[in-house]
This record gives sequence, C-alpha cells and structure tokens, in this order.
Amino acid sequence: MPQLESAPVIPGMQTGKKALLVFFETDCPTCQLMLPYLNVLAKDSVQVIAISQDGEAPTREFARAMQINYRIELDHGLKLSHAYNPQTVPALFLLDENGRVAQSLVGFDKTALNNLAAALDHAPIALPDDGAPAWKPGCSSRHLEPQSADSSSTNGSPLLRKTAEPAVRITLTDNVDPVEYCREQFGDALPVVPPTVEKVEVMVRASGLAAETVVGRIPPVYGEATVEKIAANAVMAGCVPEMMRVLVPLVRAVCDERFNAHGVQATTHFAAPLIMINGPVREQLGFWSRQNVFSNVARANSTLGRALQLLLLNVGGGRPDGIDMSALGNTGKFSSCIAENEEENPWEPLHVERGLRREQSALSLFAAEPPRGVSEHTGQNGATVLRAICATLATVWSYRVCMMPEAVVVLCPEHVKTLHRDHFTKQQVRQFLFENTGVPVRYYDGQDGGEGTQLVAQYREITIQGERCFQKFSSPESIHIFVAGGTAGKFSAVLGSWSTGPRGSQMVTYPIPEVVQGG
Amino acid sequence: MSITLVHPGNERVAQAATPPARLASLAGKKVALLDISKPGGSLFLDRLGEILRTRYGAAEIIRARKPTFAKIAPPQIIEQLRGVDAVIEALAD
Repeated sequence: MPQLESAPVIPGMQTGKKALLVFFETDCPTCQLMLPYLNVLAKDSVQVIAISQDGEAPTREFARAMQINYRIELDHGLKLSHAYNPQTVPALFLLDENGRVAQSLVGFDKTALNNLAAALDHAPIALPDDGAPAWKPGCSSRHLEPQSADSSSTNGSPLLRKTAEPAVRITLTDNVDPVEYCREQFGDALPVVPPTVEKVEVMVRASGLAAETVVGRIPPVYGEATVEKIAANAVMAGCVPEMMRVLVPLVRAVCDERFNAHGVQATTHFAAPLIMINGPVREQLGFWSRQNVFSNVARANSTLGRALQLLLLNVGGGRPDGIDMSALGNTGKFSSCIAENEEENPWEPLHVERGLRREQSALSLFAAEPPRGVSEHTGQNGATVLRAICATLATVWSYRVCMMPEAVVVLCPEHVKTLHRDHFTKQQVRQFLFENTGVPVRYYDGQDGGEGTQLVAQYREITIQGERCFQKFSSPESIHIFVAGGTAGKFSAVLGSWSTGPRGSQMVTYPIPEVVQGG
Repeated sequence: MSITLVHPGNERVAQAATPPARLASLAGKKVALLDISKPGGSLFLDRLGEILRTRYGAAEIIRARKPTFAKIAPPQIIEQLRGVDAVIEALAD
C-alpha cells in the first residue's frame, strides 16, 4: 500500500473525510465503462475524486461525454500516479479519514464495485443484468508506459464515442432492384431484405435506445455498431423487431475482448461464432432447441445467427473474400445459433453454470469448429455413451494436440436420459470426459515432427483403459456441456474450439434483458 | 417509386499510412524481427537474422515477440520497434 505521508496532496480533497480516488485514462474502454458507475456514490456516500492521466482537453471531453458528476483533477507529470503506483487503470483507492488507503481495486468488476458500495453503506451500484460484462480488465497505467517519441500521442488519442452520426441514406432509382443492390453491396452470397428507412425505424424503436448510440466497435476494422446499424443488419437478416433485445447484448458479447473477435474473424482456422441461447427468451422469441437444432428449422435461430454474420461482415469488415482468411471456412458463417433444450436437461443449464439465474435469459458465444457427430445407439449405459464422445473429443483441433483445445459437447436428450438414469451429475459427466479423453503415447513414437508432437513436454500422461495416453484437455472446465436436439435419435455432437484462454478466444455469456432498455 | 435505404455498413474511411521509402541496401542498418509467437517462428527468424548479418551486412538485429499470434501487438511491443530502419514480421507454421 502506498504511504500517503510521501504522496503529493490531492487537489480539492477535504481532509478528515473518506475519499475515493479513481485513476483513469480517457481512451481506456474499461475506464469509460466504469467511471459513470461512481456517480451515484459521489452523490450519496463519499467524496469521489477522479485523477486523469491525460491532458485537459481530452479530460474535459471525457467528463462531458460520460456525464461525470464528481471532481476530476489532472495528474500533472503523473506525480500522483507514481505515488499511488496503480499497475492498470481504472484503479480505485478508498482512503480513510486519515488519508490512508483502506481498500483498492483495479479494472471493472461488478462484485468488487458492489462490495465497495457495501463498505460505504450503499446499495449495490452495478446490477448483474445491466448489459455490461461482469468483469473487464483495464489498460496499463500511463506512468508505466514506455516513453513515446511522439509526445502528442497521449493527449491526441481520440475518445471512444458513445454516439455516432446517423447512417447515410441511399436512395435507389426505379431501375435498380433493391434486393440485388443490397446483395452486391452489403450481403454475402445470399439475398437480403433491403433495409428501408421505414423498416429500420421500426427495429430501432423496438430497441428502446437512441439510433446513434454506439453499442460496440466490431473487429477487425472496429466499425461503430450503432443501434441504427444493428437494426439495418437485423432487417437484412429477416429478424423480427423484438430480436433487438437479443442483438444489443450479442454485439456487446462479440466486442468483448475476451471473445477476441479480431482473431476469430481473421484466422485461417475454421472458427465461427456459435451463439447458444438459454432462458425464457427461447419461448418468448421462438428459439428452437429440439430436432434439427443446428439446421434451418426456426426463424429466430436462423435470423439471429445471420444478423450477427452480416454485422461482422458489414460493420466489422470481416469479408470472406478479404480479411477473413479461413482456409476452408465453416457453414456456420451463414448462421450458427442453437438454444438449449432445458426441458430435457435434468441438470443446470449452461447459463446457470456460468453464474446467471435460471429465469434470466442469456446468450453465450463460443468460437467453434463445425459440429462432429457422435452416434451411440447400442451402448446400454452412460459410460459407453461417454466413451464414444471421448473418442471424438480426442480429435478436436488435431489428433496429437493436447492441453490447448476446448470443446462444446452437445448432448442429445436420449443420451442425457441414459446418463441421468445411471445417476451421472453434470459435473460427473464433465469429469468422466476429462479423465477418459486422451491420445495414446505410442502415436508420438515416430518423431515425425507432426503437429502437437513438439509440445509433449507440456502434456500430462494418464492411463485410459490400460493404455498410456496424453490427457487431451487441460481441465474439466475446458469441456462445455449443452443439451439440445430431438427426443428421438442417439446422436450427440462435439464442436472443437479455436485458440483458447487469454491468448486466444474465451467463451462469454451475456444476460438478455427481459424488456428492452429504455422501453 | 424510389426507395431509401439505411447504410448498414462501416462508413468510416481508414486513412492509409504512407509507407517509408524502400531501403536501397541493408548494409549498416538496424533491422527488427517481429516474432508473432507461432510454432517454428523463432527458428525461422534465427536463420533469417544470421543471413541478414552475414550476407547483407545488417549492423544490428533486434528481436521482438508478440505474446500471442491471436491478437494484435500490444503498444509496448510496437514501442520496441521504434527507431529501427526495417521490420520483418514472421508469420510461421
């Protein structure tokens, strides 16, 4: 903890009273997300002083755009930053009446923010379903950045805007077919519904948000996804207006740094975003979770997946004939959206495992390979079903690559019935798959230099049914379980991942609001 | 009857950076080799650095490495490249 006796005086701070210092950078997306949450604390509970690591002009603009109601001071020469030495921003320091640091936290973390509010006898300030992620890492503190030869870069960085200009209007003359025009200019290979001003306005109204609100910046070109742009792509995909309540959190999810859409959209790998839907929204908007769940069976699934792909293409710039470099592609890039068959699932559904209430609608995003089928019709017990799945799981990414991949296992209701009858809990299913999926060590004997053979020093050796194997997955949590499909047919599926973890793409789960924001 | 559409795409025009003039020779130059962290990349760059020094007379070779090939280079890596005469980025596999 920093020693305040040696720290510079905080301008404007009332002595003898608790204070909350918050260090920030104007161009840090996490600071832009977090600082407005402190308005309510400043109003009710504590003197809040924000310390800007940037110059006066961008700081004034930040305060105006973020509608900050508390005092902001400039950190001249970054002296305060050096004294308090936060590693990342935003960084909060709660000072007691004697000016000593009682508590500190960095980044954006709803639980920690609510704990801080509780320490100040205040109600929670960061609600779980307000559309923001539960957690978001911050940026490196300015005082730790290498000195830039270009001294203007610190104060010249553009503030990420909360609103953008209205989209350009395009008027077509009578001799232009609007469907053909849109397919050529804004579609992929399939026709789209022309996004007329009238249709887009209906869609925007259904969102309950202002048309110019920037919901996210979609990689790899980081185009601004305003509500209006989202609505236009939703019209093109054939969505109903009510789908805007799903599309807004979906755009936030795809722009979440943990998902890393930049990499997913540009890789030579197969990966395509798989949308997984849970909760009451399935019934409310008609998301399908039964037979043919991966297919063209329901308007909600097909149009939501397609709207995401059109947004990635048109706003994100991930053109399949350009920056999207996938060697073979993936049919999921037309549309890839499945819902969980929670009615046939005796265990916790995916969104509950990931921290949400059962009655909270939610979407999860996973960078997925195409589905691989697993047929097991004659096995009479749960272990036999799981061993069939293990054999397919062992091949994801490439047969001798271990530890790095993750996978989604989509269990069909008949397989689930067998497992449940044999008293498998969901955690036991996951543990069984983890402990029984491996690659025989003898496959690595030839020293042929094939993919995965160079990394054996990092692999774990285990015995599976008497055979020495390298364990396929790094942990049980690398295997995500989802129940879907029709009640007839003992076919499950395995979907491998792209590069995983903080260095690749991580699954993200976002709540879907029950009513549209502002609606 | 005419029809009016809402532009559904990114309208921001990217400003292309002007590339620096091509070097006439590598002799006496400082060259950075950026490893994007793909398997085999460092082996390739080791050999490339040796060739640039011995065959083309490069005065200094510096190495920088992205933490992961799956994401864009963080600012501190770009900073390491500042001041060199040329950068070679190795994709690999």
